[in-house]
Amino acid sequence: MRGEPGRRVVVTGLGAVSGIGIGAAEFLAGLRAGKSAAKPITAFDTEGFEHAVACEVTDFDPEQWIRNVRPRTLGRASQFAVSAARMAVADAGLPEDELRDRPCLISVGTTDGESRDLDHLVEVEVDLGPEQMDPVIARRVPAGRLSATVAHEFGLTRAEAVTLPTACAAGNYAIGYGFDAIRGGDVDIALCGGADALCRKTFTGFYRLGTIAPERCQPFDKDRKGILTGEGAGILVLESLESALARGARIYAEVLGYGLNCDADHPVAPNQDSVARCMQLALDNAQVKPDEVDFISAHGTGTRANDITEARAIHQVFGERTAPRTVSVKSMIGHSMGAAGALASIACALAITEGFIPPTINHVETDPECALDCVPNQAVEADLRVVQNNGLAFGGNNAVVIFGKHGSVGS
Amino acid sequence: MSAIVEERRETIKEIVTDILEIDPDEVTEASLFKEEHDADSLRAIEILAALEKNFNVVINQSELSRMVNLRGVYEVVSDAAGW
Repeated sequence: MRGEPGRRVVVTGLGAVSGIGIGAAEFLAGLRAGKSAAKPITAFDTEGFEHAVACEVTDFDPEQWIRNVRPRTLGRASQFAVSAARMAVADAGLPEDELRDRPCLISVGTTDGESRDLDHLVEVEVDLGPEQMDPVIARRVPAGRLSATVAHEFGLTRAEAVTLPTACAAGNYAIGYGFDAIRGGDVDIALCGGADALCRKTFTGFYRLGTIAPERCQPFDKDRKGILTGEGAGILVLESLESALARGARIYAEVLGYGLNCDADHPVAPNQDSVARCMQLALDNAQVKPDEVDFISAHGTGTRANDITEARAIHQVFGERTAPRTVSVKSMIGHSMGAAGALASIACALAITEGFIPPTINHVETDPECALDCVPNQAVEADLRVVQNNGLAFGGNNAVVIFGKHGSVGS
Repeated sequence: MSAIVEERRETIKEIVTDILEIDPDEVTEASLFKEEHDADSLRAIEILAALEKNFNVVINQSELSRMVNLRGVYEVVSDAAGW
């Protein structure tokens, strides 16, 4: 697409389910206040783990959001995805009949799909035997339902629904796919984002790797101890600029471009050069120069490996002394896996609209090896024109999205 | 070497060769998992986890730096189990 005029793509609706707030307004308030979602885990039995803290969504009632699909027929991740889509469509002021009449894309990224249900089914199988597994729960498992159920809920018979399983960068992949579909003229509207539910399998895997922090997530801190797992969903309404202007929609931000690559260098370790290349791909696609980026929303998991590698890759692209402020919203909402890129993208869109940079909380002393201004502990006011959102996943799946203030870049 | 020590060494060797997917004849007390047997950090953690389960001990991940060959693994498990 690079170099072609293409159609412009804007963000007109936001739906967030997160540990620090449900709905764009609550999520915004949480980001501004530097709220932490870290709490002892309630999702599963944590006996045997020396520590078990995560960023759960504890006040979520699917009945409050989902109108047409029966919540019991959905796994928790699908419930999050459908609820966030409901919020985003309402926030965009899109009439449902109008949405039904137009071709549309639904792309939802995920790491674990409905692994929470798989945890449960395996437990039943081991304890009681396979004949005791609940068929309603078994039918919730296919990950394709994360996106297909959004189409069911709104009755979108003209929608393409895809679930993208590119792990912890999947939310950004989903936004990139929506960007292409609109830019290329296939659709005018795309519901894009990601969803994941806290599950025992993933917590245990990260725990076994020694990457779960005991109490809090401290990205870029010299004493950081790892990630906290999280959950939730973020769905953004992406729309062609023409469509948004024609219906007088509020525009949060413009999607300027994105980049993705897969280096397949190592199962879990990020590759610095490859991460740097991905950022450069995104900047080129967005036709933005590094010095135009006002802040980076980092992947920033809080592990030793991620933060050093990501910081070095940022220095590689942006210069050691000239790197923009780089924050991690995972310090507040934990690592929500497939939802991470989407929730961070919503944070970027809100930051641009509201004129602030969300903080990296739990910060005591910056690791000299990271050497970035991570906006410690307190949000700062800032007039933002261009913001970059990083997503880096296992297997070397990287995806970076660039957002701009509408009307201030390239227009 | 006493029978029990011999048995423990055999069990450890079985665990390691099974995870590294190598023939027990290929590995010696001193041959290096990473350099000579293609192991990586994930295999190392798998070995650590299997040892913990089998011998009912807790092994700190910082011990991975000593667990480079069968001799090192035996020492680490001995320390953890108080043999």
